[in-house]
Amino acid sequence: MGAKEIVGKIKDEANVECEKIMSEAEENAKKKVEEVREEIEVQKKRFIEAEERKGVEEKERIVRAARLNARKLGWAAEEEMIAKALEEAMNRLKEVKTAGFKGNSYSRIMAGLIKDATMSIIPGSSASDELEVIISEEDASFVNPKMLKKISDEINRDSGANVRLSLSGERIKSAGGVIVKGKEGKVEVNNTFEQRMARLSASLREDIVKTLFISLSL
Amino acid sequence: MAVEALKLIREREEEGRKLIEKGKESAAKILKDAADEVTRLKEQAREDEKSLAVQILDKYAKGGAEVEEEIMKNAETEAEKRKANAESNLDSAVNVALEKILGLV
Repeated sequence: MGAKEIVGKIKDEANVECEKIMSEAEENAKKKVEEVREEIEVQKKRFIEAEERKGVEEKERIVRAARLNARKLGWAAEEEMIAKALEEAMNRLKEVKTAGFKGNSYSRIMAGLIKDATMSIIPGSSASDELEVIISEEDASFVNPKMLKKISDEINRDSGANVRLSLSGERIKSAGGVIVKGKEGKVEVNNTFEQRMARLSASLREDIVKTLFISLSL
Repeated sequence: MAVEALKLIREREEEGRKLIEKGKESAAKILKDAADEVTRLKEQAREDEKSLAVQILDKYAKGGAEVEEEIMKNAETEAEKRKANAESNLDSAVNVALEKILGLV
């Protein structure tokens, strides 16, 4: 091999080596970038799936909250109408005092409340009971001693008790109704309208709801 | 003559070394550029994820808001209907309440 050939070979080998280095580097670089691109695509797909799940959950949360608010709106409307019925009932009590209710005069209604309260006291009291009837100043004209005697007689006849009702001079502040209590003050039944409304609250509401929303539930 | 030839061979060898050295430098630059590209792609992917998260959540939030609007609209209509129905039964309900308050039932 001559010097010229050797020189040519050296040059060729250097060129080949250089190209090989460059080519490998380019290939490695391209491969690395491609791998990363693919990795990013896979990760992006997973990310989108996860975010979509979060989105669905968020939408479901919004819808659940809306359904709850819708129910609250319905309940609020119901409560508004119940309150309106009770308020109207309280307002109508004044009218009842003058016009009566369903053929019953207010005096007769008071007599019923007195009898009801007395009957509640009798089982736990002594054989001979002196009971006082306390009413409001406004209702004073609807209750009198004669009426109380008649009620006492009816109760004694029907139950075998020995009750004597008298009208107390004490007055209560109330929309109406009575308080019946033993003269010793040990037993007392409060049959004022306010107390009856409170006592019967649950069944009152139930009856009002049934009547107010009857055609919708049928 | 032989001396000249040897000198030429050494020069070519030196040139070859330099060429290979330059090739290595270029290769290193290619790899560095690739590494930079990888960093850029990853950074871009992170930015894309942030943007995608906002877009996706917004899409479902809007969907939810539309359903919410419809539910509330229906609920308001239903509530008004119930109230109107209740208004027509109010007098009866008041009578039922009064019967109980007055001790007639």
